[in-house]
Amino acid sequence: MRCVRAQRWMTTALDDELTGRRRRALDRHLARCEACHRELALTDRVLTALAAVPTEVPLPAGLEQATLRAVRAANAPRAETVGWGGWLEWLGHPVPALAALSAVLAIAGAAWWRTGGPPVSSSVPPVASRSTDAPSTARSAPPTLVAVATERRLVPEPSEPPPDLAAAPDLFVDLPILLNIEKLRNFDAILTTTVDGGTRAPEESGPPSG
Amino acid sequence: MRRVGIIVPMGMLLLVAAGRAHHADAQSWEGRGWEQLSPEEQHRAWQNYQRYRQLPDRKRQQLEQRYQQFQSLPPQERQRLRQNYEAYRGLDAGKRREFGQKYERWKSKR
Repeated sequence: MRCVRAQRWMTTALDDELTGRRRRALDRHLARCEACHRELALTDRVLTALAAVPTEVPLPAGLEQATLRAVRAANAPRAETVGWGGWLEWLGHPVPALAALSAVLAIAGAAWWRTGGPPVSSSVPPVASRSTDAPSTARSAPPTLVAVATERRLVPEPSEPPPDLAAAPDLFVDLPILLNIEKLRNFDAILTTTVDGGTRAPEESGPPSG
Repeated sequence: MRRVGIIVPMGMLLLVAAGRAHHADAQSWEGRGWEQLSPEEQHRAWQNYQRYRQLPDRKRQQLEQRYQQFQSLPPQERQRLRQNYEAYRGLDAGKRREFGQKYERWKSKR
């Protein structure tokens, strides 16, 4: 077997999911290839370390609600003031704002001059109508911060367990044992094995006597 | 009469089979209920449950089989495995690394 293939099979082997024939082939390769042997040990260490990393972090009670409230509060005024707020933002850019105002005044003045009165219909819609359009624009705006925050929130511990957890809670209490059962059954034999090609063979391969 | 002679033994066989199946089912999931777990165990179970849900189906089935085997072990053997697990957890990083190497060596020699 080549090292490339051996390395491809390593994680499967570490999950105890490699079929017997492949497992034996891999073992034969590992017995004579020190580099792959080291690689396997390293991969195992990485996987063990990753498994030990907690996937959930306990959060203070109420943090989620407080965060969501803050996000909603930050979002809400913006959605309501997009109409005026959007126009007011132009004040921060005086040159384009003055240019736009001049254009509006010029068109309005021309209309006034032609009709002798205020324009009945202007090409520029009244500000009020934009103001009412704005929320609908804001509503159709895709993914809001709230939605993203909701999707990514951590799963808090429920007051009632889900049915499959409640059905066999011991399975989940003992999950690390079940995941590492081979190592734990042969714990003493593994401890007495030497790393350097060792003389002391494993004492057992089946269930330990106790 | 001949028909009765067939039906009666078949019925008995079915009853026996049903009884065995019920027994096996009850045995496979015998264990504590959620309320019997300590708060610490409930927390641990919930954490592990999150991890379990991320596993592929095949791995979950494998774990369920292992759980059934684990449940069928004598209490002292289960206790021994738990003690070994606690001993493993007690190892520092260096010792765990060494244990991993020993495990690989041990496994390659099987």
